[in-house]
Amino acid sequence: MKERYYINGVGIVSPQRTFDNAEFLNEITHYNENVLHCVLPEFKEYINPIQLRRLSRMLRVGLSAAVICLRDSKEIAPHGIITGTGYGFLHETAKFLEEIYQYNEKQLTPTYFMQSTYNALAGLVALTLKCKGYNNTHVNKGFAFETSLHDAMMHLTPDASQTFLVGAFDETDKAQFNIHSQIGYYKAEPIDSLKLFEYKTTGTLQGEGAAFFSISGTPGENVLCELADLKMIFCPEDSHSLAMDVNEFLSANNITTDQVDVLVSGLSGDVKNDEKLKVVIETEFNHSIDVRFKHLSGEYCTASSFGCWVGASILKKQYIPDVLRFNNTIATNPKTVLIINQYMGRNYSLILLKNK
Amino acid sequence: MSRRVFVTGYGIITSIGTGAEKNYESLINRHCGYGAIELLDTVHQTDIPACEIKLHDHELCKLADVPDGSGYTRTALLGVIALREAMAMANLSTNEIKQAGLLSATTTGGIRELEKYYYQLQDSSQQGNFRVFSDSANPGEHTERMAELFGIKGYIGTISTACSSSANTIMMGADLIKNGVLNTAICGGTEALSKFTINGFNTLMILDKEQCRPFDKSRTGLNLGEGAAYLVLESEESILASGKKPIAEVKGYGNTNDAFHQTASSPDGGGAYQAMLHALVMGGVTSSQIDYVNAHGTATENNDLSEGLAMQKLFDAKVPHFSSTKPYTGHTLAAAGAIEAVFCMLAMQHDIIYPSINFKYQMDELTISPQQELIKNIKLNYILSNSFGFGGNASSLLFSSVTK
Repeated sequence: MKERYYINGVGIVSPQRTFDNAEFLNEITHYNENVLHCVLPEFKEYINPIQLRRLSRMLRVGLSAAVICLRDSKEIAPHGIITGTGYGFLHETAKFLEEIYQYNEKQLTPTYFMQSTYNALAGLVALTLKCKGYNNTHVNKGFAFETSLHDAMMHLTPDASQTFLVGAFDETDKAQFNIHSQIGYYKAEPIDSLKLFEYKTTGTLQGEGAAFFSISGTPGENVLCELADLKMIFCPEDSHSLAMDVNEFLSANNITTDQVDVLVSGLSGDVKNDEKLKVVIETEFNHSIDVRFKHLSGEYCTASSFGCWVGASILKKQYIPDVLRFNNTIATNPKTVLIINQYMGRNYSLILLKNK
Repeated sequence: MSRRVFVTGYGIITSIGTGAEKNYESLINRHCGYGAIELLDTVHQTDIPACEIKLHDHELCKLADVPDGSGYTRTALLGVIALREAMAMANLSTNEIKQAGLLSATTTGGIRELEKYYYQLQDSSQQGNFRVFSDSANPGEHTERMAELFGIKGYIGTISTACSSSANTIMMGADLIKNGVLNTAICGGTEALSKFTINGFNTLMILDKEQCRPFDKSRTGLNLGEGAAYLVLESEESILASGKKPIAEVKGYGNTNDAFHQTASSPDGGGAYQAMLHALVMGGVTSSQIDYVNAHGTATENNDLSEGLAMQKLFDAKVPHFSSTKPYTGHTLAAAGAIEAVFCMLAMQHDIIYPSINFKYQMDELTISPQQELIKNIKLNYILSNSFGFGGNASSLLFSSVTK
């Protein structure tokens, strides 16, 4: 028998106003410089003032997301904490590197180094919650969030009553933006973020965010949806092979493509990197509601966590904000959501969510 | 669903040798990699000695059998070299490699190259071959590069939990096999010395300018090192089908968090104790059955105290032989867990226990001291290998002999 997993709570801070779970993209922020920064919550509502002073911006964002998630799930003590990030704390890393140059490797600031480690957030959340259980941090580019989820699912197999906090985070950074702009990761001309999919050019938008999910083998009182399954595909040869992988995944879950009510895709607005995914959406999912999100979140390694939040929220609220919809298909009560993400045309992932 | 997991191959490169055989010889002959830094460009070349691999990147390219100048960071190169040896020892077929998973660990990815070209990379007016390093600082880059080089398709993951990182790849690989996701998981880590790391640890004031002295009263910190190691893990079914002779069994493992401090371990070693205990419980083994502990033993004041107390608590009055191999290789951070797991395999195969060198003065807080002389002809049925890190991460691996 296949194990069942549930998303029992979420907390997300992103370039949109998403930290309030009572809302669902009620207010939308436009960006015009190809970089999308988080809309920040009032940190002191989630972090005590003494602790707050010592934390970098991204640790504040991450810890707030974790606390929002815990409150949403009504869970007090998770059994383990797992985070995923593609690039980690870019700001602290850059600061420390710059000091190395500036002061010729003498008298540097230890805090930048300490807060630059990839596992700093998982450690901080554990410390804050006094969670002494399992603790891990996954850092594989466009798979970082997915392997984190998978890690939690494997730990729930022997004991479905447990709960894991699974988080993902990545941040924007100027130095990285400069470097990556030169190898074409971002659009050459500034665009209106909301029109991301209208441009037929390569490159995407730099985004950021932190999202936490409370994952358990048992539904909680505020359960959003069932996390039915997930799969990662590394560098599929072509759209045909990607479509085969998608179909195989769905049939392993006894679902046909027609039964996917909502297809949340991680199209990034980069015509080249989106190519294979676009073909799969057009050929396999023309009955599904076409939902996209990277015009709201920007692109980052763990952007699929934003997509996962979108999918889970659609199932929980039974409502799809217009800003997410890219076709006219109607589903009155969406039951099945498939998230297909692509990162840089190399990391593809599938996350299947079902109505609880 | 719970399947048994075995080690069928390993590969390693450290400052004490390229390949398992060379590493083993160095260990039993007390040869250390400690000395002045020569290859990494840093102002600390002489005042902060480390365990550096005295091979230039172009020499590593040859050993790795990859073209020079094609964007392999030093981290990736060390990884490729160790991975080749591991896959060859396990005698993996092309099909097994394709279906295998690769779980690799790093603390800073290819930051060594980023720090070298940091301003040039940001300056669009400068062009040159350094552009191959435009996105190589990413921690997952080396893993994906290695997966593509060898055609590994089954599963790709990278873990970064500071100094316990590669111990966690072994756990993740074993979990993937136990859950039926994979039959073969190649797990380990790779770490190159960098200015970033040396200066980072220097600001924390936990680097010893002398050779490090694990579990010694006079210890003042660790020596950094570089290296890589990978272990091939296979399911019982896969071994039965191929008739391969396994080297050891991954019997148990524990991962816990100290939840005490952002960078330090709790003084009483709560996380370390729990990690070891979990490993024993999973393996169905009692503490009295453990023959040897390969300690994390970094020689920082904090680690050795908390790890020592955790061992005293776990083993009560009868602490088994334990030693730290950190003085030989230095602390190789993300690679340490896998490097020391390879040392455990070698100890088990050769029936020996490595001497913990540089020990002179008993710690006041402990009643135990590390094994100082090489022990030969000792049957090691169960070995614990510890890795602890920043962020409270504590991991312990339990290996058992297959020739009991």
